[in-house]
Formats: sequence, C-alpha cells, structure tokens
Amino acid sequence: MFSIYKKELQSFFYTPFAYVITALFMFLFTIMFNNALGNLEQPVLQFTFPDIFYNVIFFFIFLIPILTMRTFADERKFGTEVLLMTSPVGVIQIILGKYLANLTVFLFMIAGSSFFPIFTYLNGTLVMSQLICAYIGFFAWGAMFIALGMLISSFTENSIIAAIIGEIIMFVFLFIDDFSRTDFIMQYPKLQSFLYAFAAQPRFAYFSQGFIRLSDLVFFLSAILICLSWNYIAIERRRWKRG
Amino acid sequence: MITIDKLTKYYGSNRAVNNISFTINDNEILGFLGPNGAGKSTTMNMIAGYLPMTAGTVTIFGSDISKDPVAAKKNIGYLPEIPPVYPEMRVKEYLSFCAGLKRIRSSERKSEIIRVMKLLKIEDVQDKLIKNLSKGYKQRVGFAQALLGNPKFLILDEPTVGLDPNQVIEVRNIIKDLKKEHSVIFSSHILSEVSAVCDRVVIINKGDIKAVDTIENLEKKLGGSLTLHVKIKGDRIKASNVIEFIDGVDEIVSIDAEGNDFFSFAVKLKEDAGDDTKNAIMSELIGHGIQISEIYTEKPDLEAVFVDMINRSSDKHGLLELLEETPPEAEDGADSESDESEEKEGEE
Repeated sequence: MFSIYKKELQSFFYTPFAYVITALFMFLFTIMFNNALGNLEQPVLQFTFPDIFYNVIFFFIFLIPILTMRTFADERKFGTEVLLMTSPVGVIQIILGKYLANLTVFLFMIAGSSFFPIFTYLNGTLVMSQLICAYIGFFAWGAMFIALGMLISSFTENSIIAAIIGEIIMFVFLFIDDFSRTDFIMQYPKLQSFLYAFAAQPRFAYFSQGFIRLSDLVFFLSAILICLSWNYIAIERRRWKRG
Repeated sequence: MITIDKLTKYYGSNRAVNNISFTINDNEILGFLGPNGAGKSTTMNMIAGYLPMTAGTVTIFGSDISKDPVAAKKNIGYLPEIPPVYPEMRVKEYLSFCAGLKRIRSSERKSEIIRVMKLLKIEDVQDKLIKNLSKGYKQRVGFAQALLGNPKFLILDEPTVGLDPNQVIEVRNIIKDLKKEHSVIFSSHILSEVSAVCDRVVIINKGDIKAVDTIENLEKKLGGSLTLHVKIKGDRIKASNVIEFIDGVDEIVSIDAEGNDFFSFAVKLKEDAGDDTKNAIMSELIGHGIQISEIYTEKPDLEAVFVDMINRSSDKHGLLELLEETPPEAEDGADSESDESEEKEGEE
C-alpha cells in the first residue's frame, strides 16, 4: 500500500500538478478573501473565515474532480491496471493507497490556504476555535468529495470525462439542500427529507459555526466509506464483466 | 509446478477459452501458440490472476490463484501484451515502484533493480521518462518489471513484439537463460520463435487446445512423412493422375496454378517413401510429356504442424475435394479464364 501511496505522491509532486492545483486553490481563496475585505463597512474590520470557506467551496468542487480524475482512469488507459492487479497487493490496499495520496495533496492545498489566517493573525485577531472547526469541516467535505471523485474515475478510461461527470455530480450534491427547499419539493415532505439527508452544506454550516457534532462527522465518514466500498465493487465488477 | 485445470472463460455468451488443461513443469519453457484472437491473452490474464475465470482452477506452486491470490501472485512475474508502464515516470523510478509493489525488501531493492536493468540492457535509459522511450525499450522495461524479485513463474505475453531483430535474439537468449531457475509460459503467434525457445508447445485456437506436446513429437505426429513439391508445365489433370498412382504417394495436398500452364503440386508421401518415389514421379511425368521445372522434398516443420492443427476441422483432404473447389478447365475455361483467352485471340 505504501508503494502505491508513494508512487501517487510522486506523480503529483514530481510534476507541476500539485503545485498548480494548490496555486489555483490559493488564487480562489485570494478572491474570496479580497471580497470579504472589500465588503467591510463597519469601522472595526471584521470578517469570518468560515464565510470565506463557504464561498470557496463553490469553486472548490471544480478542483476536486481535477485532482481525482486520473486516479483510476489513467491506470486503465495505460494498461497499468494489469500491473497493480497482478502484483501481490489487494484491491483494497490499492484504493486506500490512492485515497491517502489524494488526501495528502488536499492537505497540501489546505496548508497553502493557511497563509490567509496567518496573515490575518499577524495584523489583527483571530477566533481560533471557529477557524479550527471550519478547517475540520472543510477537510471532511473535501475528503468526501475525493472519495466520490475516485469512484467516478474508476467508471471510465477517460480522465476528462471523469472530471466532467465528477463536477456535475458534485454540483448536484452541493445544491441538493437548496433544491430540497424549493416550493416544488416542499409539497412532498418525505422526498424533501430524503433529499435533505444527502445535503452536506448544512452540516458544514455547523462546523463553520464552531460546532463539531458527532452526527456530522458520521455523515462524512459514512459517505467516504460508501464511496470507497463502491469503488472496490466497481473495480471488481469490471474485472468480472470485462470483454 | 503450475497446473491449469479445466480453465474456461465466457465473455457474456461468447466463449473465449474452453475447458483447457495443461501443466508447466519446473525449469520448463512452455510455448503458447495460436493465431490472433485464439484466446492466448485471455488465458494468460487468467493465469496471472487479472481476469477471473468462469470455471476451472489455476494452481501456482500450490496456491490457488483465485482462493489465495496474494500468495500465488508472489511467485508470478507477468509481462502483458502491452507493457504496463507509466509514461510519466522515469525508468528507475518505475522499477523501484514495481519492486515496492512486489514487496521486495528495501535493502535488496537497489541491487535487484540494477540486476534486471543489466539483464535487459536498459541501464543507459534509466533516467529517461518512459514516454520518451521507443517501443522496444518500453517492452524491455516491462520485461524488467516482470523479472523483479526473481519470481519462480514467468508469464510472457508476446515479449518480442516490437523489437528489432537484434533485440529479438537477445530477448530470446534471456528467456532461454531463465529456464535455469524459472518456469516460463511464453505466448507467440510466431512459429520460429516458439521452436527456437520452447521445450513444449500448447497450440490453441478459438479457445480450444489443439495440441500439447514437444516440438519433435508434433513433427512426428504429423506423419513424419515428407512433402514433395513439384512444379510442372502441362496438363494439370493428366499430371495429377500420373502422380496419384505412383507407389509411395499418399495424397496430393494442394495444386496451385502459377501463370500459363504452370502448376505447383504439393504431394504428401507415405512414411517409407524416399528418393525412389521422387525419381519415379520425375520419370513418369516426363514419360507423359509433362515438363518439370522444379522438384524438391520438404520435411514437415512446425509451421505445417501449426497450420494443420488450427485448421483441422476445416481441412480439405484428397484430390476430389480440391477438384471440386477449382472446377475443371474444360467446362469453364471460356468463362472464368476469358481474360487469358482474349489475350490469346488478340495474339492470333
């Protein structure tokens, strides 16, 4: 598992990939940070990082599929899947190795974004508890979308298609709570509560307010587990159905 | 020892591999021969544990590939048809990754990588990106990967495809050397390659095994008889009548028309037939006023065995069927060979 993890990291960090995606992420963060500063009207400059995170997430869903699109699609495209599957490494280990590598790049991106709170801290005051909770929530959300992106990547040989489908699905998931609150859906309370159960946004809202609720953590964790297990099933299923 | 027992693979309702069984002994090179699309790669993928089988078992040094894949795969080095290389990696990086995948101890990794690079002569490209390598080098990098960790069983799917003639000979020699410590299964659709390298051959076509034997035995099995090739000028039917009734002639295998009045006969001789028969045919043909422009005898080679094996069901035997295939000139000479006759008319 470690060798797969290491190889994936090499493929991210020996190429410009990880740096470019982190730079892009920081650029998005800068825009939001700038907006937050520009919107200040009170004499005392006050803004919250959770709000910035909240805005960043909207753009963030375009970055995650780009991070994950190659995970399995490229293995199939280059025929290297055979190598992985015929070496004495289990499929679960392959998936976990790749997942951890993607998470590491994600952490690297998050580390890049910490520039802004540090900058704020040096020039003002920072509400630490809220910031940390927001970071935890942000990480959980990203971890879930990475698992989802990897799952989608295992469905196709073409990484671009994986990225596009990933973006669409993540977009749907991002706005599913808004959708569930539309008048049309409100007519069917059962459907509404069903849809609402998939919504990650309100759960992130708790984090950003400084709450760490067990139910939210369980939500993200179970979503990750479902995606990774499905990933395992998808890979095995394709082996059986091939041809 | 590797045992393949009643291996079957269906793709949907298509049967790709049908109930095949054979074994690969220790220190043996087994050739796996078949035309394209015969099920070679499918079988190899199943033996290597990449594709699950519909039915049957593969046992590699005592471990079942589907029940205990990790233990079985530890003994396998697999070079698939398309070398499984990452274009973005450098050769050395790639081999080091593969060494990790194969769980080679980190203390031994470096020496192991150097060993396989030396063996396949890829040391000079070790710092190059794989995507910049030629097909032949990629193939050798893929081969090097299969040899990492010195697995006891090697599965090589057409390892010499894309190599230049020099490299082909090198790779063949490497494979021959591997025999000392390994069992090898080696697929190819090139006959000369298999006969140059392998101890035994499995011939497969359309998912069925047609033969499992040593090359010498296969040649013998085909009859051990000689084939006589004779090229004549004259009447085809007359010639074939003459040839067929000479002692020692088994049957006429084929008749090919070669331009104006020239016909090439391939004649299968009986096992005890020799030069006497050849001489008899020559003198009889000349006696009947038929010119001979070429005559020679040929031993059956692997190619003949191969073609015979894979075509066995649809083979044509005997002169009668051949004549049915190509209608006698008397009837349709005017129609089908009208081009020729027109030319002749023009000349006249």
